[in-house]
Amino acid sequence: MTSYKRVSGDAVEYEVFARKTRAEPLHQVGSVVAPDDDLAIAYARATYDEERWCEMAIVRKEHVIELWQPGETS
Amino acid sequence: MSLSELVLSIADNKQMLGLRYAEWATRAPSLEADIAAAAMGLDDLGHSRVLYGCLEPLGEDPRGPDRESDPASLRALPYFDEPWTQWAQFVAANAILDTAFTAMIESCVNGSVEVLQHRLRKMLMEERYHFLHGRSWLKSGISAEPLEGAWREAIEWFGPPDGEVAVLHGEGKLSLGPKELHARIEEQLEMRSPDIKVDWKRWDPIRRRTKPGAIDEHTFGMLRGLEEKRFAPSGAAKEA
Repeated sequence: MTSYKRVSGDAVEYEVFARKTRAEPLHQVGSVVAPDDDLAIAYARATYDEERWCEMAIVRKEHVIELWQPGETS
Repeated sequence: MSLSELVLSIADNKQMLGLRYAEWATRAPSLEADIAAAAMGLDDLGHSRVLYGCLEPLGEDPRGPDRESDPASLRALPYFDEPWTQWAQFVAANAILDTAFTAMIESCVNGSVEVLQHRLRKMLMEERYHFLHGRSWLKSGISAEPLEGAWREAIEWFGPPDGEVAVLHGEGKLSLGPKELHARIEEQLEMRSPDIKVDWKRWDPIRRRTKPGAIDEHTFGMLRGLEEKRFAPSGAAKEA
């Protein structure tokens, strides 16, 4: 049985954002796990392409800068 | 060979590629890869339908009645004759063969035939994601055997240097000839193909392959709807 290191150890989480019209803002539609940006793009498109989005973007979760979390005060 | 024959070859290969991708929709190494296999399978099956639809406007439909009974009448490459047993076969097909078919479609879109210019353009947008998927998995490293097999079949499929793809390129119907198509996929994949010598005397210009054989019986039965009949209610055959 072949083990695929990149599926677990090397993979990182990406947040997926999309919008249906230019008038609405991008909102989070889900996430994917992938070892690099190219594969994350392919996975995001394959997983979340059921709707007619006019725009889709992905961001590495580790690149999101959190100001505060639930339960913390601003 | 005419342009219609070439378009039929792309369509048959895309159909088989789509089916083989779909077979991995629950067997890929991760859930995301499962979903990608299913999505790419649907894309390629859809592309084959569009390509079959181009045959009539091209003025000539080369499909004969033997396609109903003879698996060897289909023009798919040997790579698709049997279901893939290893993920590496999937990756090599995705990275090399899918990219080769896309390069040929790009060559049609940028050629002088209007129906192909218009109808095939959208495929190039969808194929971008197949390419990213294939190239990324290829970079992770796969065994040499399926990779070399896929390269060989891509080069054979482009045809001999003085064959009909070269003639169609010379006439402007295709924007790329065999040599340019080969260079195009090397450039896109950022890698050189292995040094492959093709015995063009053994090459079948209709099926664009040197190796004899045909797709497996089960897959051929499924394509013809014969497998579906096995699962029909017992009375359905009599009513029909």
